[in-house]
Amino acid sequence: MKKAAAFLLSLMIVWTAAAAAAEKTYHLEIVSKGFQATYWQAVLKGARNEVSRLNAEAGYEMITMNFVGPDSEADITQQVQQFTSALNANPDAIGFAAVDQNAFKDLLNSTMSRGVPIIGFDSGVPGAPEGAVYANASTDNYAAGAAAAEGMWEKIIARIASSDAPVRIGEVNQDATGESVTRRGIGFIDRIMELAAEKGWKAAVTGNEYYVDSVTGEKAPEADAKIIIEVRVPAQPTVELCANEAFVLLNKADLIAVFGSNQVAAEGIVAADDNLFVCGTGDATVIAVGFDSGATLKAAIRLGILYGAVTQAPVDIGRVTIDLLFASAKGEPVEDTDTGCAFYTRENIDAEEIAQNLYD
Amino acid sequence: MENTMIKRKAARIAFIRSNTFQRLLLIAVLILLYAFFCAASPAFRRYTTLAYICNNMYYTLLLAIGVTFPIITGGTDLSMGTGLICYSLIGSYLMRMCGWPLWGAILATVLMGAAMGTVNGFGVAKLNIPPFIMTLGSMMFCRGMGSILTGGMSGTWPNYLEPGAGFRKIFRLVITADSGQRIPIPLGMVWMVLLAVIMTAVLNHTRTGRYIIGIGSGREALKLSGVNVVKWNMIAYIICGLFTGLAAVAYAGTFSNITPGEGAGFELNAIGAAIIGGTSMTGGSGSVFGAFLGVLLISLLQVGLPFIGLNANWQLLVTGCILMGAVTIDRLRKP
Repeated sequence: MKKAAAFLLSLMIVWTAAAAAAEKTYHLEIVSKGFQATYWQAVLKGARNEVSRLNAEAGYEMITMNFVGPDSEADITQQVQQFTSALNANPDAIGFAAVDQNAFKDLLNSTMSRGVPIIGFDSGVPGAPEGAVYANASTDNYAAGAAAAEGMWEKIIARIASSDAPVRIGEVNQDATGESVTRRGIGFIDRIMELAAEKGWKAAVTGNEYYVDSVTGEKAPEADAKIIIEVRVPAQPTVELCANEAFVLLNKADLIAVFGSNQVAAEGIVAADDNLFVCGTGDATVIAVGFDSGATLKAAIRLGILYGAVTQAPVDIGRVTIDLLFASAKGEPVEDTDTGCAFYTRENIDAEEIAQNLYD
Repeated sequence: MENTMIKRKAARIAFIRSNTFQRLLLIAVLILLYAFFCAASPAFRRYTTLAYICNNMYYTLLLAIGVTFPIITGGTDLSMGTGLICYSLIGSYLMRMCGWPLWGAILATVLMGAAMGTVNGFGVAKLNIPPFIMTLGSMMFCRGMGSILTGGMSGTWPNYLEPGAGFRKIFRLVITADSGQRIPIPLGMVWMVLLAVIMTAVLNHTRTGRYIIGIGSGREALKLSGVNVVKWNMIAYIICGLFTGLAAVAYAGTFSNITPGEGAGFELNAIGAAIIGGTSMTGGSGSVFGAFLGVLLISLLQVGLPFIGLNANWQLLVTGCILMGAVTIDRLRKP
């Protein structure tokens, strides 16, 4: 009798353990840069879809996700609080896109000591302590900036070649601190300088000191340059202030092209042009190139106010982030994943490979 | 002889202490600043720059006209900036998700502002909550509410290609010259001047205005004379809320994409403009026209400083200095 009872008890323990193992759950915390650009809403959509897919595959709510972000990309303190709350929720892994590179070092050390894997996404967590970030799911922003330069170059090369006087190319960046925007801005300038050098043209870089100092190519003095690249950064990352900077650029008679390195900066260019009407796709107009999408930018491209823009794959960033978080939470090895980008214009805005990454 | 000199001196002191002096000083600063930017940058002299300044200041102008009223009562309204974004986000949500017509969304946006003004007014006037605390609370409330109701999503009002985009013409017309050149007409300035004239008349020539000024200069005396101070104090906040709602529509007409994180800080520009324009932070005196001039000055700096190669950090610094100067003048000219 005792043997039978012991056998039954063992069976129950094994069954309970097996059931528990079969229904293991994972809690993922994601701290983004906020929802101020529709780009982030597309990332959220990709993450939600992937969680739903994995849960449907498992047949139960295997993964729970909490996706948060500060009210603006300037709210460093709010993001620190959100990261602290995320850590206190005892997650199995944390997805993180830092708004400031220096504010999180202590928190990241603390996360590492608790053995919680961090997966960087979008701009990730540059300068993080060794071993804290397991992998990144992001666009190669430097390459994305270069893609914008190449897309623009095709349209302006003839005009530069035929001009006797130096020409100006503007760049509006919403800040000089965020990793993604700065890498894009520098990638754009470096590529323009490479393309100019291939033609034997000298290029000068003026404006915001951070960008001017970060350029890797050889800068010519402004007086000797065939191309002057002028970089402008507002005090705060808002459309209104980006528009003011873009307005000054668009008023310059020698300006032939301008690049806005994210949705906010590109919308600023569109708002500034709303009173000047100098942007367009013609030979005598300013060729404006944006980044990401959104209802305003898509309309501006269709109308020919913007010549084109570079789109990342935000939905894919959300999806890949969840995959990497899930794998790292299970203890599987993970590695950096480039989620890609593409240049689009009015001609290919509706093509399937582009349209799936555009959002309102 | 001596008496005449004393009288003249007294008249001079009275003039220096008057609101008219501060406004004249402000007009002089505006003219000098405009002349300076024109001299420093040929591009600044263009008509399009003037049109750009006008077309981008409507929402700040409406906020400044509105907030002049609570400031005159000795209060303030910190909820305007986040409120503006909250109302325009919800207005866009009603249009996009609930199928409301454009006019319905515009009306709802304005009424939401008035409703929040009523809540602020009730808290300040009836419950005696300090205005700073009450409106700080509603500022946070609006910041959260807009994001919660729209699920943290951005909102869009009709942009260039969409039906209903014509509502942008309320603020900005574009005419095409024979040469094919497009010229922006800042039509919104007509409505702004009209509203400023109406609200100046309300402040200076109606019972509402007299009582609002009275609350700021001598609340107890007004109460003792049988005036319903709670009611008139509430009205000051309702006016402010109503103008915040109008500012939300103006903002949506200028920047059709509304993002939840924006707005914080708009109220500081508006309050700063009202103070620069001669409205006393301690209440009892103020001017809608002065607030109008204050917004002109801030907008001129915001657009002008980048033209001379100074970035927006300098704009904040210079605006801060002007604000401190205005408050100092306000203190000095009072006996």
